[in-house]
Amino acid sequence: MSEYAAAGVAIAAVGAALLAGVYFVAVFDRLIGALVEGRPLQWSRLLAEPVQSSALMAVQQRRTTERPDAPAWALAPALFAGLAAVALAMVPLDRDLVATDPATGFVVFSAAIAMVMIAVYLHGWSPNSAFALHGAYRYGAQALSFQIPFLLAMLATVLPAESLSIVEIVNAQESLWNVVRQPAGLPLYLVVGVAVSFWGPLNLPDGSDLAGGTSVEDSGLSRLLWKAARAAMLVSVAAMGAAAFLGGWWGPWLAGPVWVVLKTVALLGVLLASGHLLARVRIEQFVLVSWVVLIPLALLNVFVSGAFLL
Amino acid sequence: MPVFAVAGSGTREQVQDLRLDVHMQLVDTPRAATILLVAGAIPEELAEALARLHDSIPHPRCTVWWPLGAPSGAWLGSFPHHVAIEDQVPGRLTAIQRELLSGQRPSEPPILPDVDAAPWRGVGPFGQGGTGMTGGTPYGRPMAELGPDRDGLRLDVLPLTVGPFFPRFPAGLVLDAKLAGDILVEVAVRDNPFVTNSVRGNDRAGRGPFLRALTEPVSLAELELARARAHLRWVADALAACELAALGLRVLRLATAIMPGDSEPVESLARVLGWTQALGWSTRGVGRIEAAALEGLGAGPVARASGLPDDLRAQDQAYRDLGFEPIVQAEGDAAARWRQRLAEATQSLELAGRAGDRRTIPTGSIESPRGLLEPAGGPAARLLPLIPGLLEGMEWGDAVTTLVSLDLDLEEASAAAGQAHGEAVAS
Amino acid sequence: MILLGPVGVALAVFVAAILLALLIRVSGDVQRHPALAVPERSPFAGGEAPVVHAWNRYHARYYVMALVFLAFDMEMVFMYPWAVVFVREGGIAMVEMGMFITILLLGVLYAWRERVFEWA
Repeated sequence: MSEYAAAGVAIAAVGAALLAGVYFVAVFDRLIGALVEGRPLQWSRLLAEPVQSSALMAVQQRRTTERPDAPAWALAPALFAGLAAVALAMVPLDRDLVATDPATGFVVFSAAIAMVMIAVYLHGWSPNSAFALHGAYRYGAQALSFQIPFLLAMLATVLPAESLSIVEIVNAQESLWNVVRQPAGLPLYLVVGVAVSFWGPLNLPDGSDLAGGTSVEDSGLSRLLWKAARAAMLVSVAAMGAAAFLGGWWGPWLAGPVWVVLKTVALLGVLLASGHLLARVRIEQFVLVSWVVLIPLALLNVFVSGAFLL
Repeated sequence: MPVFAVAGSGTREQVQDLRLDVHMQLVDTPRAATILLVAGAIPEELAEALARLHDSIPHPRCTVWWPLGAPSGAWLGSFPHHVAIEDQVPGRLTAIQRELLSGQRPSEPPILPDVDAAPWRGVGPFGQGGTGMTGGTPYGRPMAELGPDRDGLRLDVLPLTVGPFFPRFPAGLVLDAKLAGDILVEVAVRDNPFVTNSVRGNDRAGRGPFLRALTEPVSLAELELARARAHLRWVADALAACELAALGLRVLRLATAIMPGDSEPVESLARVLGWTQALGWSTRGVGRIEAAALEGLGAGPVARASGLPDDLRAQDQAYRDLGFEPIVQAEGDAAARWRQRLAEATQSLELAGRAGDRRTIPTGSIESPRGLLEPAGGPAARLLPLIPGLLEGMEWGDAVTTLVSLDLDLEEASAAAGQAHGEAVAS
Repeated sequence: MILLGPVGVALAVFVAAILLALLIRVSGDVQRHPALAVPERSPFAGGEAPVVHAWNRYHARYYVMALVFLAFDMEMVFMYPWAVVFVREGGIAMVEMGMFITILLLGVLYAWRERVFEWA
């Protein structure tokens, strides 16, 4: 197979996985919401509703504001989706079943996470609307606070692998998953993963106190794309968590890719449930806790898990 | 279907109950909606804002008026294409949306005139040049100007008018705010058309037991059950402001299901809310009000959350026979107001269970769920003057949390006045 | 891009996803909706028209925290290669990075005392 064909297959596979993941997140989130609400489950409705509301957004008019930064507005959701895609492309389904496995895979992934801040900022800046702009700057504070603990939590998984390649990180978990080797790692990763995809308690840039924050002016397809890109980022964060902490394809009885999907679904369940069970965090609190608790804890995690390897 | 709902006079509960229908999705921004649902009467002063809200909804769109017994207001004149519906709201709205999408019903044209606020003014041919950040006044709007700040830096101060239909605020509340970054540096509350009585409430809605108790004897059991329900309805709304909309719906269901004497569901709700941190990290220490500021305002649970045992029920013989003692909290922050309402809901259910056939004696004033209610005014009107001092210096999110925790019901006072007026006419 | 190897494939996925999203957005323009009138372009803040444009020289009050972040971001740059060679280098790597991190964490403690992480 030529290299171009390989790239084409990778693009198609990641695209299909993301679309399936976004639909799954939409259904799963409604399912958890219905359980929390105590409403009897109507499966046909749960399955059809995301499609219906997407179709509605697709036929609605896309509106602008009176003096928007139109190119940035168009780019923001696309950039966010692109970052989610590149993050997911690093996640291996099996030892030799991965869209791409650069030797510096972890660095590529962290670069994608760091760039989310640009996408959210552009999205809040571009409509020239006060609440959107406030959401953008709020995410600035949020992003600058979560990046260090997020990367440190994942960096600890590099130590046993002695490699920045994600496949090697998973490979090194054959005998012992990182969730056991580094017990603080996964909780830290999940807390900060909620912040990255600004979901539930950390939905500060798009929060209800800002009437939708950076997406307050979105309508029609631009609203649909933004929602889809957020769900896609959540899928990527969960999938990477499954690879880095839950041993990726390793597991008894079932085939490797099945294990990856199951573990991703489990982590998605935790991330989505947090959105229905935990109240909104104040931005200052998040900044303070990130710097004073999460970063020292993540560093401790790196050094303690490192000491056990020596 | 996505609906942007505006609750006019006395229709708050009916609009809130729409959330329980699985087809209804009440959205926070008109940009996400297809239908503008207007319930009850809208004061004439808000007609222009309502029209702007309508114009912000993307095509295809439709305005639906749900009168709930209110007389048709003058604002309807500028909505020539609206549809009026009386009942079966979710079903009718679904049908209207289907007609809109299939093209059977034309999308409504904009209402406000299609003219720039002011033409682009500048020095150069493209409006460039002049003073300010970009020069000129694009679209007739100037840019924000520099202002001093408490940390000594001179950066822009953004004037921003929030309301009257901001989804987290009671309908009609308009804040003229100035924001330096995410901090409110100046807040002014505009005269509220619901408070200043320019709108008459309707007859079908808004005649709850508390309004009736102003002029006639009402059973204690009925009053206390209604009080517990009102507190739970507030919890449902406040949970949505905490990003816990699904849990809010559960509480809203609970509000209609609770029974006198059985306070266990409310107590377990309070425990669940403790775990979700709705009484913890999202409200603790936010919006603290000193007891001295609330002295004599009759602010009900807000005053009692700050430690004032200020409750009209304590002077009522019927309540004293039941051994009623006002519950108070010490902290006076938003979390204390949450706890206060949950504790009062529990207490009210217990009182309702023991009340028997005791009735109130009408004295012209009553302790409503929000505080001292009399024809001369409700607690919301007395709390409004506190708001500027309370919000200044707060981060925007905290300001919203604080306002939500005050539970302002702006049309309560005019409804009370209307009740007294109606009685006077009848006698 | 292919010349870049696996990183090139990652880049190709990135660009393809962006193009696909832009394509979906543009595809909506085939529907014909009425042109937007001036009031339909008013930004939303509850129904009132804005007084000024929203873009402003925003007072990002967390700017000192952003500076502390810069220091930690540089530390992350050093930690990538450090993590790879950690097991091979052993205790000396631990001690060296430990000293560096301790100094940075003292900085965080100082910033905390100076109330850098709170601004309201």
